[in-house]
Amino acid sequence: MRLEALDRHAYHNGPLHRADVRIKLCATLAFVIAVVATPVGLWRPLAIEGLLLAFFVGLARIDPALLARRWLGFLLLVAFLGATVAQSHPARTQLGWAVVWLSILAKNSLAFVAVLTLAGTTPFPKLLDGLRRLGMPAVLVSTLHFMNRYTHVLTSELARMTQARRSRTFKRSGRLDWGLLTGLIGNLLVRSFERGERVHAAMLARGWDGTIRTLDGEAEAS
Amino acid sequence: MHIPDAVIDDPRVIMATSAIALGGLGFAVSRLKNQLRDKTTVLMGITAAGIFAAQMVNFPLFFFGAPVSGHLLGGMLSAVMLGPWGGACVIATVLIVQCLLCGDGGLSALGANFVNMGLIGSICGYAIYEPLRRAIGGSRGVLIGAMVGAWFSVLLAAGTFTFELAASGRQADFFNVLGWMVLVHAAIGVGEAVITGLVVRYVLSVRPDLIYLPDAAPVAKPIRWSQTGVAGLGIALAVAIFLAPFASEHPDGLEAVGGWFKFIDVSKEVQPAVTPLIPDYQMPGLTRWKGIATAAAGCVGTLVVFGLGMILAGTITRGTPAERGPERVAPDAA
Repeated sequence: MRLEALDRHAYHNGPLHRADVRIKLCATLAFVIAVVATPVGLWRPLAIEGLLLAFFVGLARIDPALLARRWLGFLLLVAFLGATVAQSHPARTQLGWAVVWLSILAKNSLAFVAVLTLAGTTPFPKLLDGLRRLGMPAVLVSTLHFMNRYTHVLTSELARMTQARRSRTFKRSGRLDWGLLTGLIGNLLVRSFERGERVHAAMLARGWDGTIRTLDGEAEAS
Repeated sequence: MHIPDAVIDDPRVIMATSAIALGGLGFAVSRLKNQLRDKTTVLMGITAAGIFAAQMVNFPLFFFGAPVSGHLLGGMLSAVMLGPWGGACVIATVLIVQCLLCGDGGLSALGANFVNMGLIGSICGYAIYEPLRRAIGGSRGVLIGAMVGAWFSVLLAAGTFTFELAASGRQADFFNVLGWMVLVHAAIGVGEAVITGLVVRYVLSVRPDLIYLPDAAPVAKPIRWSQTGVAGLGIALAVAIFLAPFASEHPDGLEAVGGWFKFIDVSKEVQPAVTPLIPDYQMPGLTRWKGIATAAAGCVGTLVVFGLGMILAGTITRGTPAERGPERVAPDAA
């Protein structure tokens, strides 16, 4: 999966990795809101925010090439959407279309890199622990735990099913083979449900009482 | 349909959407607690992972010769399998993971994204699905209800997105944009409806017990197929026409629409589904009265989706348990 490099980096050790998750979550949220709320066309605050972010990326020792690759992947889409949203932006009449567009791009990039920095310094289970301690309902946290555990399993299951389908069907690519693809999705959902039932039975057999325990977090009731 | 950061940049709108999202999610979770058994979180988590993986399946499309692909959104689908509250929670978890791990969908737009796809997609979609399912009855009702619900969920989400944009200081051509968004998403929604319908048909013929039924009682015997079908269609059409008046003002902003049309083109990032169909919907003589065009698109779309649903319902394999409506089969067949 494309997340893996960043995911692995989250398990390194560094000053940002050791910081309390709740602080990191709140700081990221505050930073993103501050960036997004910066008025269009004011470059100095954006530059300061960029420097601040660069400092934290350096502190986290995340490979800039990795961040850049992920950022470029989304840039095209955001550029396209930003270009058309800028068309009707209230500030367009004073500043011109290009300025509005560039500042939407810049603000989006800063927010995007900030979220990736959070993901690159915090393993997901720890992030969930932080969310729980910030008051997220236990039902959602356990659901997120299960989702995180099985995303990789089901993604690779999907890859296996796709490969099996492609080795058995000889359709020209590009044709609308929606029947096959929806069959794939339906099968995937049914399999994930059945896996869920088996996992639940297996967990009951091991004495599960509805509480998810992680090695470094407190127990949480669901 | 994942709104990135900085597209909505008015702090008040961010706060308002976040507040609605938090309130809605809290309500969904509290409703879920009533039906919560220890199994629920396991099933929801794994279904969320399944929806997450299913969104990676790309459907090949041809948009004026250029290969484009779209994928499933899944709000209606998860609601059909887990109920409205479970479905909304599943969408919330998928969005949180996509936002925090992949950077897909902005952190500041998380609230707006959940309102559009979770609250509108799952809960409003279910509100349309449930009466239709009851009215038609049996697996046919599940299928048609899911398709019509999926179509409306895309349409309503597009309308909400327009409203959120307008609220952040872009009221100038609100009605224009809304008209176009409804028109374009009437077509996109057909794609989502067909995908949802085909997947639901598959699930109905393999594990009909996986479809969520709130009453858990045996499905009522369908009354008169023709009567109930017409009644369900009437409800759907009423909602479609209810949307239309919003689009009926400012009929002469065609220049602005040119720019907006580009904007709409992009916003369907997730599902540039059946776009080549739009010219059919926006019948040339009607373009100047977008209100009428929109209402027509609403009616045509509803009829198309309904018709497709009936065709699909007719092809459910006969002789499978699905024919007798959702019921429990061999739970340990896994």
